[in-house]
Amino acid sequence: MKNLLEVKNLSKIYKGNSFFGNAKDVKALNDINFTLKPYEILSVIGESGCGKSTLAKLLIKLITPSSGQVIYDTRIIEKLTKDVQIIFQNPYQSLSPRMRIRDLMAEPLFIHHIAKKNSKDINNRLEELLKMVGMEKDALERFPHQFSGGQRQRICIARALACEPKLLILDEPISSLDLTIQVKMLDLFLELKKKLGLTYIFISHNLAVVKKIADSILILKEGELVENNRTSEIFVSPKHPYTKKLIEAAK
Amino acid sequence: MKKILEVKNLSVEFRIEEKRIEAVRNFTLDMEEKEIIVLAGESGSGKTIASLALTRILPALAKITAGEAYFEGKDLFLKTEIELQALRGAKISYIFQEPLVYLNPVFKISEQLKETIIYHDKISPEEANKRMLELLNLVKIIDPETVGNIYPHQLSGGMNQRVFIALALASNPKLIIADEPTTALDVITEAQILEMLKDLQNKLGFSLLFITHNLSIAKKIANRVFIMHRGEIVESEKTAEIFNSPKHIHTKELVYAYEKIGKL
Amino acid sequence: MVKMKNKGLKTGILIIGLFTAAAILAPIISPHDPAAISQDELLMTPSLKHPLGTDSLGRDILSRMIFGARVSLSVALIAVGISTVTGVFLGSIAGYYGGFIDSFIMRLADIFLCFPTFFLILAVVAFTEPSLFNIMAIIGFTSWMGSARLIRSQILSLKEREFILAEKALGATDFRIVTYHLIPNAISPILVNAIFAIGSAILIESGLSFLGLGVQPPTPSWGNILIESKSTLAVAWWITIFPGLAIFLTIAGFHLIGEGLKKQLLNQ
Repeated sequence: MKNLLEVKNLSKIYKGNSFFGNAKDVKALNDINFTLKPYEILSVIGESGCGKSTLAKLLIKLITPSSGQVIYDTRIIEKLTKDVQIIFQNPYQSLSPRMRIRDLMAEPLFIHHIAKKNSKDINNRLEELLKMVGMEKDALERFPHQFSGGQRQRICIARALACEPKLLILDEPISSLDLTIQVKMLDLFLELKKKLGLTYIFISHNLAVVKKIADSILILKEGELVENNRTSEIFVSPKHPYTKKLIEAAK
Repeated sequence: MKKILEVKNLSVEFRIEEKRIEAVRNFTLDMEEKEIIVLAGESGSGKTIASLALTRILPALAKITAGEAYFEGKDLFLKTEIELQALRGAKISYIFQEPLVYLNPVFKISEQLKETIIYHDKISPEEANKRMLELLNLVKIIDPETVGNIYPHQLSGGMNQRVFIALALASNPKLIIADEPTTALDVITEAQILEMLKDLQNKLGFSLLFITHNLSIAKKIANRVFIMHRGEIVESEKTAEIFNSPKHIHTKELVYAYEKIGKL
Repeated sequence: MVKMKNKGLKTGILIIGLFTAAAILAPIISPHDPAAISQDELLMTPSLKHPLGTDSLGRDILSRMIFGARVSLSVALIAVGISTVTGVFLGSIAGYYGGFIDSFIMRLADIFLCFPTFFLILAVVAFTEPSLFNIMAIIGFTSWMGSARLIRSQILSLKEREFILAEKALGATDFRIVTYHLIPNAISPILVNAIFAIGSAILIESGLSFLGLGVQPPTPSWGNILIESKSTLAVAWWITIFPGLAIFLTIAGFHLIGEGLKKQLLNQ
């Protein structure tokens, strides 16, 4: 099967501010290479500051790389595409506070010209999306602050699925939720993947979660890719000392 | 062993206009000296409010409506605000989740530490300086001189949390209440901080009340676990019991989550 | 939506409500024609026939005040409308895009702010003819700076928030982000500011009309009724007191609403 995503020599350097004399450049990511097959889950693990969020933003084209390429489905993508969507970490901050859920969820449909405003089919589609993430249709008329963290994250997922993406980037999507809710969300992710034929890049710092769901894992340390292997290999015979340290700490 | 903390049937209400919302209901908890207790429950179960109620640092809309609390045998609810101020930071210290929010951004680390030290112990500036460096060493900060000289925003989350712990230890407290101190940190740092807390507890002999929603922390450090749900304590047992034979349905939920994704 | 427990807010709304009602219903409730000159009734003290007295041309003050309310209120509202829209537009662009655009717009604001508003308006009025429309436009285009700065600072802090990043990730255009997401979340302080600005606008218009540079007689405005007050104060106190009172009450009313709204929004 051909690769859904190929990342070649991807680097991102943030230039230092020489005007104030503090001219150090920050190498957020350095020469990252990996591939991703369709319908698989690739996990990216690392401590804070390792570059995982930068990687997420590069993959979804919110920022441009300093060098290297992101090849999606054999095409080099220059700008945002509806085939790749992202879920962010903080459900309390990712939904515009003054918009109803209905408007928030319908937005991607308008932005990508899938539907016109006020058409009747929108309603059905929105209800369908909510049902997929286990929420009732009366959520549509409410505002984000009326929902819990877990529910808001479900709304974000429903929104991301509106344009029928193929690849979902999940940037620590459950880290800020209670453990009991995390379990339910993980089940939801797996169910959706199966039902809709999705591919995931799952960024996390929780090794237990990653071990459960990932097919392959990337270990990032301070912008460098230190290990890249299938999940079973990583846990049975970790090669890099940093990987070993991570696994020890999680035990 | 003597009981350092005894809370019986504590209830705390929020009053918003005409509505009353019970945040804590019939909360009962006890701690022995030198014990580590984990208070576990989901977000919104009232754990934080219950812990703040003990020294009456409650938000304006919250009121204690019932219950008793004894610290070292003395009734906490009978104490005046001045007596409580003498207690807070000295005998009962708190550690919270986001150190950057609680550390003053315009003062250097050393100044904040010295402020607390001098406030409670009335010693000379030179002695305070020595004590400050001692404390930074205790929390395993490698270069206390340099770290003391910089500002909170220049340090990482993990380092700030260590500083916060140093602040909590400044006056040799008898009880430390830690409210989700490692939730915002990554795995490696969390493991380090937990181990450090356990070491310090062993060395200095304080009692530790650790609040979290993650039972894997309980497995690592707790003597006993109290499970809280919707404002009430639903189960309390020795740690091994909680994991081996959880009785209440919410304990089972927490243990189930732990089994699935809380442990490797 | 707006809870009516706020006494100040209630009082303010009552006052402004009364004046607005008077303005709208002017032709119906006005006892006399505001332009009707009467040789026999010059400078009469308040009586049953003329509850607020008459002026030096025999015109009924009450009727002139009621029609004057129309003028003063509409000038103020439209002027503030113009300044708010201009300010929000310029401030949003400055805040969102930053860089050169931001600097340019902010320096423009600084330049406008350098001039004492009233003198700036006087200068502009000197070159244009004083008409109702011109007054509205002039007041409007010389007071956009306040709301521009307010919304710019709101947008500067909001645009880094995660929900804006999420919108960008969805593919939303800059226009969409600014109009649907940034401005609605930033608008509250602008609204409060606008209410206070209406009060200022009433004062400015009254001042201009008093100096003869604003609304021209015979169209009545509280300001131009006061033109006569200078020469008649000793003999006809009602020409000074009533328009003055009206201006005072209206501005106080708007301030009460503004403060009340501020409290309301702070509580949210």
